Amino acid sequence: MELNMNREAKVISKNVDVFYGNKQALFDINLEIFKNEVTALIGPSGCGKSTFLRCINRMNDVIDICKISGEIEIDGFNIYKQGVDVVRLREKVGMVFQKPNPFPKSIYDNIAYGPNIHGIAQNKQELDEIVENSLKKAALWNEVKDRLNEPGTGLSGGQQQRLCIARAISINPEIILMDEPCSALDPIATAKIEELIDSLKSSYTIVIVTHSMAQAARVSQRTGFFHLGKLIEMDETDKIFKNPNNKMTQDYITGRFG
Amino acid sequence: MSDDHIVKSYDEELHIINDAIVQMGSLTESLLEDSMNAITKMDKDSVSKIVESDKKINKFRASIDEQIMTLLVKRSPVAIDLRLAISTLKISQDLERIGDLAKGNAKKILPLPEDDLPPEMLNSMRRLGEAVQKQIKLSLDSYLERSTEKAIQVVKDDEQVNDLTKISIKEVLDFLAKDKKNLEFATNLLFVSKNLERAGDHITRIAENVYYLISGDYPKKNK
Ligand SMILES: Nc1ncnc2c1ncn2[C@@H]1O[C@H](COP(=O)(O)OP(=O)(O)O)[C@@H](O)[C@H]1O
Ligand SMILES: [Mg+2]
Repeated sequence: MELNMNREAKVISKNVDVFYGNKQALFDINLEIFKNEVTALIGPSGCGKSTFLRCINRMNDVIDICKISGEIEIDGFNIYKQGVDVVRLREKVGMVFQKPNPFPKSIYDNIAYGPNIHGIAQNKQELDEIVENSLKKAALWNEVKDRLNEPGTGLSGGQQQRLCIARAISINPEIILMDEPCSALDPIATAKIEELIDSLKSSYTIVIVTHSMAQAARVSQRTGFFHLGKLIEMDETDKIFKNPNNKMTQDYITGRFG
Repeated sequence: MSDDHIVKSYDEELHIINDAIVQMGSLTESLLEDSMNAITKMDKDSVSKIVESDKKINKFRASIDEQIMTLLVKRSPVAIDLRLAISTLKISQDLERIGDLAKGNAKKILPLPEDDLPPEMLNSMRRLGEAVQKQIKLSLDSYLERSTEKAIQVVKDDEQVNDLTKISIKEVLDFLAKDKKNLEFATNLLFVSKNLERAGDHITRIAENVYYLISGDYPKKNK
């Protein structure tokens, strides 16, 4: 297995607890996510994977009843410290959701939107370049280059998801969070996204929530298993799927409980 | 074996594979015993029966290979289930080889004289055979009981099998030294000793794979 020898922690979670109202959703989460690697988060529905993912770009802030304590460090800097620019943070940490959600706009505008509002492009020519490069990185350019003015919603599900990835890439993030990005896609579209994830990891740090063990095994270098809001085990993906340390992990990945 | 996969038929498939190994193992154990009896009692009549039961063992191997392939395709097993699939594949291969060696040994007695073989030589061969039989029993027990202790014991016992092989070979060479006419017989008996040692190596490998199945690791060689 290819292992990055001098691994660098990009994200560190320290004693993170999350509550929705009185209900605790995450319990004392401590983990590291390494730079330029794909980290998979697995576990039964409702175990807190999405909640944890949303801690990394402070998307939970928009949920009124949601309270977070502990620290999330990105590059050694606690993103929950007072005075953190959340808009800047979300530029740095992009997100892709389960259901592809292109804006009801042209393919071009879907990509151009972010760079525009974040003031990344100085002129039309720069914007064109960003659109082209983002679509190329998302392995979508060849399929859409002749119809950039058509609506993004007219694309197939797999293409829409790659459009959303291109959109995330367009504002130069360092981290990309993906919440079950393939669960609405067929095997071919899934394979294309997985191939894309693999090619993106040299430039980005990727965290992916997935319900497919096989997908976690294929795309990730490390895997974390959550259960009832706790991180049960996190280790090299290879280790998790060949010989996990924890019985609960083993029972889950082998299909012994749901 | 731990049960309760959510998918019941998955459990059944694993059970069937597990049972197939247990049956194949006990067949191989009996074959080894029959083969040793044939050799030490010069019972040439039993050889045809031995050849038949070796064929059965080969069929088990083919059927287990097939079932493991199906399991890999259908279930994409991971962790303990994956290790069961992989180690079972290897164990059935080793059992088949042990069957081949035991059958080969039985056939080697066909050209030998019925009585005038020196009893010391047959005794040393019997002792070697007994050690190998003890080893295969322990090895199969380690699989059945999922016991790393027994698996480690098998690996340790291999040294004794190697020592007994040397003694047995020396007895055969003494027999040869007494009379050059014994050359053909002696050569066959050398093969018998060497084959028993090889069977011991396969049995050791089985134990190593049982150890891997249980722990996800191979036993440390402490030489
Ligand atoms: N917006 C919310 N309001 C209240 N409770 C929520 C909210 N989002 C998630 N939860 C609860 O938090 C727990 C973890 O949910 P979630 O992070 O979505 O799990 P997963 O992504 O692993 O399926 C669940 O019990 C869920 O009901
Ligand atoms: Mg979720």
